[in-house]
Amino acid sequence: MLGFSIILISALCASDSSTRAIDFNRDVRPILTSNCLRCHGGVRELGGVNLGDRERALSPSKNGNRPIVPGSASSSEVIRRIMHTGDDRMPPTGEALTATQIETLRSWIDQGAKHDPFWSLVAPRSESAPTVSHGDWPRSPLDRFTLARMEAAGILPAQEAAKVSLLRRVSLDLIGLPPSPKVVETFLADDRPDAYERIVDGLLHSEHFGERWARVWLDLARYADTQGYEKDQRRSIWLWRDWLISALQDDMPYDEFVTRMIAGDLLPNANEEDQIATAFHRNTLTNAEGGTDDEEFRLAAVIDRVSVTWQAFMGTTFQCAQCHSHPYDSFAHREYYEFLAFFNQSEDSDQNDERPTIMVRPPHWRTRALDAVTAMKRSSIDDGAFATWIERVTADEASAEVPEHLRTILLKPVDQRDGSEHALLVLASKRSDPVIASELASLAPASVPVMRELRAQARRETRVLDRGSLKSPLEVVEPRTPRAMHSWPDGAPRDRLGLAQWMTRRENPLFARVAVNRLWETLFGRGIVETCEDFGSQGSAPTDHALLDHLAVRLPEVGWSTKRMLREIVLSATYRQSVVASPETLRVDPENRLWSRSPRYRLEAEVVRDSVLAVSELLSPRRFGPSVMPRQPDGIWQVVYSGDEWTTSAGDDAYRRSIYTFWRRSSPYPAMIAFDAPSREVCSVRRIRTNTPIAALASMNDPVWIEAARSMAKRAMASSESETMIATRLLQRALARDPERREVERLLALHTAELARFAQDPTAAVAITGDPAGNADWAAWTTVASAILNLDEFLTRG
Amino acid sequence: MDHRKLAEIQSLTRRSFLGSVGRGVGVGLGSIALASMTNCESHVESEAPLVDPLAPKPTHFPARAKAVISIHLAGAPSQHELWENKPALTRYNGLPCPDEYLKGEQFAFIKGHPTLLGCQYPFAKYGQSGIEMTPLIPHLATVADELCLMRAVKTDQFNHAPAQLMLWTGEARFGRPSMGSWLLYGLGSEARDLPGFVTLVSGDKTPDAGKSVWGSGFLPTVFQGVQCRSAGEPVLFAHDPAGIDRAGRRNILDAINDLNRIEAERTKDAETRTRIAQYELAFRMQMSVPEAMGIASEPPETLAMYGATPGRGSFANNCLLARRLVERGVRFVQLFDWGWDGHGTGASDDLITQLPKKCDEMDRPVAALITDLKRRGLLDETLVVWGGEFGRTPVAEFRDGKKDFLGRDHHPHAFTMFMAGGGCKRGFTYGETDELGYFGTKDVLPVQDLQATILALLGMDHERLTFAHAGLDQRLTGVTKPVRVHRELIA
Repeated sequence: MLGFSIILISALCASDSSTRAIDFNRDVRPILTSNCLRCHGGVRELGGVNLGDRERALSPSKNGNRPIVPGSASSSEVIRRIMHTGDDRMPPTGEALTATQIETLRSWIDQGAKHDPFWSLVAPRSESAPTVSHGDWPRSPLDRFTLARMEAAGILPAQEAAKVSLLRRVSLDLIGLPPSPKVVETFLADDRPDAYERIVDGLLHSEHFGERWARVWLDLARYADTQGYEKDQRRSIWLWRDWLISALQDDMPYDEFVTRMIAGDLLPNANEEDQIATAFHRNTLTNAEGGTDDEEFRLAAVIDRVSVTWQAFMGTTFQCAQCHSHPYDSFAHREYYEFLAFFNQSEDSDQNDERPTIMVRPPHWRTRALDAVTAMKRSSIDDGAFATWIERVTADEASAEVPEHLRTILLKPVDQRDGSEHALLVLASKRSDPVIASELASLAPASVPVMRELRAQARRETRVLDRGSLKSPLEVVEPRTPRAMHSWPDGAPRDRLGLAQWMTRRENPLFARVAVNRLWETLFGRGIVETCEDFGSQGSAPTDHALLDHLAVRLPEVGWSTKRMLREIVLSATYRQSVVASPETLRVDPENRLWSRSPRYRLEAEVVRDSVLAVSELLSPRRFGPSVMPRQPDGIWQVVYSGDEWTTSAGDDAYRRSIYTFWRRSSPYPAMIAFDAPSREVCSVRRIRTNTPIAALASMNDPVWIEAARSMAKRAMASSESETMIATRLLQRALARDPERREVERLLALHTAELARFAQDPTAAVAITGDPAGNADWAAWTTVASAILNLDEFLTRG
Repeated sequence: MDHRKLAEIQSLTRRSFLGSVGRGVGVGLGSIALASMTNCESHVESEAPLVDPLAPKPTHFPARAKAVISIHLAGAPSQHELWENKPALTRYNGLPCPDEYLKGEQFAFIKGHPTLLGCQYPFAKYGQSGIEMTPLIPHLATVADELCLMRAVKTDQFNHAPAQLMLWTGEARFGRPSMGSWLLYGLGSEARDLPGFVTLVSGDKTPDAGKSVWGSGFLPTVFQGVQCRSAGEPVLFAHDPAGIDRAGRRNILDAINDLNRIEAERTKDAETRTRIAQYELAFRMQMSVPEAMGIASEPPETLAMYGATPGRGSFANNCLLARRLVERGVRFVQLFDWGWDGHGTGASDDLITQLPKKCDEMDRPVAALITDLKRRGLLDETLVVWGGEFGRTPVAEFRDGKKDFLGRDHHPHAFTMFMAGGGCKRGFTYGETDELGYFGTKDVLPVQDLQATILALLGMDHERLTFAHAGLDQRLTGVTKPVRVHRELIA
């Protein structure tokens, strides 16, 4: 009771703002941002007044008045003007500031007019985990943060999700695929206390982990298989995608991962893979249209690299400063070009051939070649036949049986070929098998554009461009990072490598926060800072600052290991909650800002398609290689001045994971667009999820889904004795849980109705099964499977 | 160009939508709308019938118009070559622009001190109203007395994407709902089996601002515009697969919906309810969209009037489609046509070759649309809005000092748009600009005021059509600047 009275008294005191301690960020910044900075901020500085910058706000304006005199509100022009009742009043239009707002500004100036840096520019600090009443709930330190806020709001966490729900959730989250029936069965039978941990560890080591997390980076990197702009010609850059998958799969420490993408070419003893990594910033558009100014588009690409660097790693929109000083955040116009100078020395110059490029075999090709042969041996290998083959193709130099890239290996004396080279030849001898042919193609050298610095004597001058225009160059600037940010590392070179060292410093207030926020967003559907792309004053504030900082401090502590961070999060009690919340929780926390239950949201485009292929057993598990073309409707590629055509890939390449789908910027794969994938012309930090009839049409009618339904039906029919069993199996496979009886019965009713329809119309049965021998029963089960692939639960992560 | 997905706010689920209603936004929506949404919330808990968030809702006050057809000429056409007869500008052609105009002026491309550029075409008066136009738009001249011309529209953005966002979403950044989404949210749609908000794009390019100009921003995603194609399959995957007829599709859909209802009961997730509604809409769209988009069924005389050719994507086809869609109850039809960015950097974007070509593509179909709506008695209840995201400068651009082609830079201060039908005045001119057509001098119409006026014609008070988001009761016209409805425009 005593404590309560003290709070009450201090609350009463707070209403008397002359005695209240003013917090700049909490009390003053919002008033300035919404009323003053549009005209008196970094952009316009009308009357020579900039209230967004303390130094500028304290210096005299054009008419000689001092806008702010620290310690003396009564001598400050700002106060005089906001209180003025005549024409001199500020703001000049609209409502005057309220008495409370004026009082806040007065107190702030009287108390010294301190400008505290914005929260996101102060490095995260580790706070000790809050104390909680329900001490038995937390499983991980992060749970104490979420629980403390729930308790403060007077609610309790949701119950732990059912075992099967949790399994499906964590499988979709970590590897982007639903669990197989075998995994479900094993997990349900495993009653050891650490059964869930074992599942999590298995998923983190799954060979499909890298593919799932690479998707996030492909959006950030604006990855595509074409150059963009009008003609949108093909570009060979899939080696970078493969590098990305491997780096994530191998859990390359995040600081190293970023360093290699920004400056792999500048590392001491940079190897081929380090060079491939730099293609991250060669995903910029290239304009192959006739009559364009290459310098204009070279610069556009450099500008894009600056934007993407800030958005992806720093969660900051820096490009406002391209044309003018940032209106609300502390970046000056000149600082933009100083930063741009880091990226302005690379050789590339908007050439149609994308140079500089390198021609290399993909990352890990040696182990992959050996693995492919090992996998093959299980089925068939005949040493005698291989020897004969070698003899034959060696004798015939022009033999079409040996791909060009193996010719030099073939010419080597046998004892000088290493095991991996030998493996490539073994694969070549079996090329009549389309799967092996495709595997071999994915091990062939390919071209990839890379970042490479200009020779010292060819280096470019970087100038400030007035209003961002190439036609109005101003003073020359040197590479430098913005003053509002943390300091430059001592002795670091003033190039991209130094920049990477600066970015990955522990002092960087944004780097780790942005990284953990992205992990959280990918798992929970919404970041702790909802605007993942903007941690600045125009973005949203973190819903839980302490939780964000706890995770941000933790990331370097676990050696910048993404997998260890993910492990901590998915093992937490917060993550394990059920999606079902009590009415009280729904009332208090309708938008789940307190993480008081597990979020439930539609799966992302790639996971939707991969799930369809997985549950129908059509999915090819093969990883890596050139992009593939699964079936899409005719006439999608209608790009001006381009005769290029979509040719559906042969064999299992039509059923590879979506991350390998050929991505043309002007006409992305339509089923992916229906589920909100971006076109990848620019960095896309977040995808907007929509729920539209367009997506419903795709999942009901896309021939790929029908083919999947057909395959599911056939398998369930082959392995089940009764109709009830078939319906049950279909539901189990898609939803990874045992169905309720009423669900099975409803599907049996659909089967009966459809069976009657197909019995009357055998041609329809042939059409839907795609098989001349297709019977009514198979056709009816196909429609049942199609219904299941359209269920909200199937499309949703819960 | 600014393609940031910056504040592209993850669209709220119905769950948060209901949450915000719970916080009392309904006050702004009219009592019946509130009731229907409250219903919507309660059925999450019980098994009450599903309430369609797109069901028609009452207006704040009697509406003049029921539907909007917006014709956006992306890139921004020149008002000086079409609407603004300024003898002084022609007289001073080639002279330096007076300094007083250029104080603090920012151009997108012009460098140095620009020179004035007179209108390139002669003006004549048309109709009883005597509205002046040039020979570039002879067909629009025949409907002069239907037009409500606004000469001093004003925006504060001078780059395409931000200005397009400003015009359609009320703010120059990504993430806010478009006007069509606001209207669908506030009014619902009478089209039970078509999307209530349809976008049609011509000119081979989507607008600079991308799908955000028909996006739902922070409103629930059910309110976003659906892009239809005027050539080929009107909406991708609209056809049932071979072997599934309508009866089969209905069987399958009923099973999907029944199982989804069980799921909704388990999870209490309103998003699942929305999915049921979207699947039903998809089912109806499979029939109604091809029917509505099938302009081949129009009499040859009508096709000729618009200059429409079935099977080909064109602006003319889109104008005809717009009529067919509003006829079927669609609330908002948004046309975008690319190719109006007349800088004069070459023959492909100048005033002498390109502008007449674009006008030729635009003039006949727009005039036909107005005429056609009128003869069907639809013009009174359909508001046609025509214009670009800004205007073009009264000064020449001459990029890089080259003077081979004539063009004009982006001009936000004053430009011409028109409305027709839907309760606005006929044969009426509103707003004046100075002798050079540089700034508005009388009855200036900021784009937010235009938005408020359009909402008013549809019976909606822009201050009461609100949605709680990010701590504010948000509205199309924003909450920072004073905005007014220009009743002078309303008949």
